[in-house]
Amino acid sequence: MEKGKISFLQMAIMMYPTIVATAILGVPSITAKYAKTDLWLSPILASFIGFVTVYATYKLHKLYPEQTVIQFSEHIIGRFAGKVLGFIFLFFYIQIIGIIIRGYAEFIVNSFLVTTPISVIMASMVLLCALTVHGGLETMGRVAQMFFPVFIVPFLTSIILLSSDMEFKNILPILGGGMVPSMKGAIVPSGWFTEFFLIIFLLPFLKDKQKGMKYGMISVVAVMMTLVAVNLIVLFVLGPATSSKEYPLMNVARYVSIAEFFEHLESAVMAVWIVGAFVKISVFYYATALGTAQWLNLSDYRSIVWPLGILMLEFGFWSLPNAMETERFDVETFPLYGLLIQTITPLFLLMIAIARKRKRLGSKKND
Amino acid sequence: MRWGAFFSVMVIVALIILYEWPKMKQNPKKDKMAFFTLLFIGLVLSMFDLPHMGGPTAWIQSLFRPFGRFMEK
Repeated sequence: MEKGKISFLQMAIMMYPTIVATAILGVPSITAKYAKTDLWLSPILASFIGFVTVYATYKLHKLYPEQTVIQFSEHIIGRFAGKVLGFIFLFFYIQIIGIIIRGYAEFIVNSFLVTTPISVIMASMVLLCALTVHGGLETMGRVAQMFFPVFIVPFLTSIILLSSDMEFKNILPILGGGMVPSMKGAIVPSGWFTEFFLIIFLLPFLKDKQKGMKYGMISVVAVMMTLVAVNLIVLFVLGPATSSKEYPLMNVARYVSIAEFFEHLESAVMAVWIVGAFVKISVFYYATALGTAQWLNLSDYRSIVWPLGILMLEFGFWSLPNAMETERFDVETFPLYGLLIQTITPLFLLMIAIARKRKRLGSKKND
Repeated sequence: MRWGAFFSVMVIVALIILYEWPKMKQNPKKDKMAFFTLLFIGLVLSMFDLPHMGGPTAWIQSLFRPFGRFMEK
């Protein structure tokens, strides 16, 4: 079904914006609400979920090297239950993409294109992602590779440019309220780390399969370090006001002013965000399209890419009347929902698969 | 019923069929069925006032309500 192959580095590069892109904008302020000045600790705690997810995903991949979760769940828990689980996964992804697209468009409308109808921004992003997904996995890998500098360079430069505005004593007191606030702050970012489960849709198409685990872990570490860096920058510049800002990184970027002509770096933040959201939505979109085609036993996933786009757009609006509701979903529902579907379910599948393998080996020995 | 949304989705569906059909003529029947079923679901959903309608997202939100209350504190 998928003839393209990607390298392990391309996989890591695709996964990095997939997690970071949406996590750097809204999440720091949500984390700050719970963790106060310890918000930089939360991503470190949350990354534990990322390591568990990558480990479980890779072990499952080892047991069924040529298949994605939609196919091997039928082998593990039986045909009917496997189909039901596959449907839950696909449904989850279509819904989550809808909410990601909505969050992306909500940000663009609030900060920059105030009078543009939100559906136009959402539809144009879906159009772009659909074209990329239609091109196949190799196209996506190369696009992610090409845009990676666009994503990382403005980010690093802004750290240097902001250094004069940083107030390092904002970090005190460290662990003033004990570990509990930073642990509670870690709940929301951990929802983002569960998205590493998506590598299950990429691993079967790796050129060099041995390095899948290593580079998955490296990707988790890179994401964790980026989130810690972002949270520290935001904390150093904004201090206790972080939790009251909707997009703290945008506010921080407005502080940059060099010789009074190098200003308005928030457009750079927007560029980073759009590139990141594009890669993120493409990876999710690809997983959904490939998964749906495998679930229905189709011969190719390309023909259903466009119809799925319409469904995703509609899910971006369904039951979400305004931006408030969309943010509430991210905070109050997604962390546990994502954890259940993307980390706990794979762990269960892994346990059942290992138990069945043991049983099979045991009965062979008895013969 | 929101006619604007419905008609724009209808136009998009027509464009998708025009764009995709020549490429998938030789595909198996199952592919064509899936293609049209998904398009049809999309078209039907566009007839409703989705933002103000209870749907899967609302159900899941109410399912995870206890966790939401824990996060509100």
